[in-house]
Amino acid sequence: MSNYFYVSPEQLIKDRAEFAQKGIARGRSMVGAIYDVGVLLVAENPSASLNKISEIYDRIAFAGAGRYNEFDRLREAGIRWADGTGFTYSREDVDARALANYYAQHLGDMFTEGQKPLEVEILVAQLGSKIRPTKLYRVAYEGTISDEPLFAVLGGDAETIRARFAAHEEQIHPLKETLKNAVDALAGPERTIAVADLEVGILEDRGTRRSFRRLNDDEVSELLS
Amino acid sequence: MGLPLFSAHGDPGPSFFHYAEAAGLTTPVFTGTAESPHATTVIAVRYNAGVVMVGDRQATGNYIASRDVRKIEAADRYTALAISGTAARGIEFIKMAQLSFEHYEKMTDSALSLEGKANYLSPIIQRNNLSSPLFVMPLLAGWDPSHQVGRIFEYDGAGGCYERFDFSTIGSGSPFADSALRLGYRSDIDREGALELGALALYEAGDNDPSTGGPDFVRNIYPMMVTITEAGFQELGTDEVAARFRAINDRRTQSGGVAGGTLR
Repeated sequence: MSNYFYVSPEQLIKDRAEFAQKGIARGRSMVGAIYDVGVLLVAENPSASLNKISEIYDRIAFAGAGRYNEFDRLREAGIRWADGTGFTYSREDVDARALANYYAQHLGDMFTEGQKPLEVEILVAQLGSKIRPTKLYRVAYEGTISDEPLFAVLGGDAETIRARFAAHEEQIHPLKETLKNAVDALAGPERTIAVADLEVGILEDRGTRRSFRRLNDDEVSELLS
Repeated sequence: MGLPLFSAHGDPGPSFFHYAEAAGLTTPVFTGTAESPHATTVIAVRYNAGVVMVGDRQATGNYIASRDVRKIEAADRYTALAISGTAARGIEFIKMAQLSFEHYEKMTDSALSLEGKANYLSPIIQRNNLSSPLFVMPLLAGWDPSHQVGRIFEYDGAGGCYERFDFSTIGSGSPFADSALRLGYRSDIDREGALELGALALYEAGDNDPSTGGPDFVRNIYPMMVTITEAGFQELGTDEVAARFRAINDRRTQSGGVAGGTLR
């Protein structure tokens, strides 16, 4: 006869949450913020090729924090979903909210039913258009989805960074100021982050269909100076 | 449609076509006996700084179905894709190609090479043409940023992909367009020469092939003329295209409908 130990559902959820939080806290953080004419995504990322920020669709971007292999698979699924939806219906029918909901469902399922919860947090950003608003959807490891009005912070130490950033970002600023505040918030008072260790992407209209663009080191230095 | 997650061994990778097949988004393969002519003429001429493409605008069934169809489209910034054959399949094919190139770029954060794009289309053409009577025959031309040259890729009915270093044509007007190109092409041709020769070859095709629409001076509809260079895919304005075809037409009128002993 095998021994089964009783674990209360409360304890089980608590253990799983703790496990996921620990995993996420090991990675570095990222900030997503709305600025006057676009959306900024900035992550502390020493790797120049393993991206945390990515284009999903014409006006939708993705950012992940936590375990790279787990959020990168979600990123790929997001691009497939978006391209598949646009192919089946129309490009304007691809909505960030629907994608954020799918992520929330999947993370929620993995949290309760998976072998282990996914150690990731996801941000789905949408640049507004005539038919849709500018939005930041943050999806947590257990599937909680929140609609952030001005900015969102993902990753370890999110609360401290959030408090630092909130002190400057009660309203919407231009890109230069928003980026500076975001980098200051990520670094904290005792530290500076080298430009090479920053990954920066923006969603901004520039007269073309696709609005996502990565900013290179020179552009970031220029904006931070 | 739910979140398309795949296990590591069943993952379609950055290929949109393979994902679309796995997800059941592509047209099912069927066999039948319908006959579909590829009534069209599209020409690509390579010159020293890129490629010129010229395509007629007429969609032909048993009668003229449309006079202002676009048979050349930008697959991405540096790549033009033209189609002949069944309109429905051709349009789906262009859409699939556009989406595939962009999909690859987003998935891998790097653009496909021009040769990669040309090869990618081969099995899609093969799948369509060898399993369905609804034939599609594409023509791909682009600017190759890694080698700094314009390149042309043509296909055979089974999806075989061949690079052409001079010019290529597709569609029912090909024999006539090809003849004009063979006589007029020089290896040192420049942009102006390529545009002039391309327009002349299309005029010839429109003049001789009932399924190719030449310049329509009554409705002010002219063949599409496009250049693909370092600056990307650029379409010539209607006024410029109209002037070119009007000049050819005037010359032909003067010489009584024949070229008049010279290539003009």
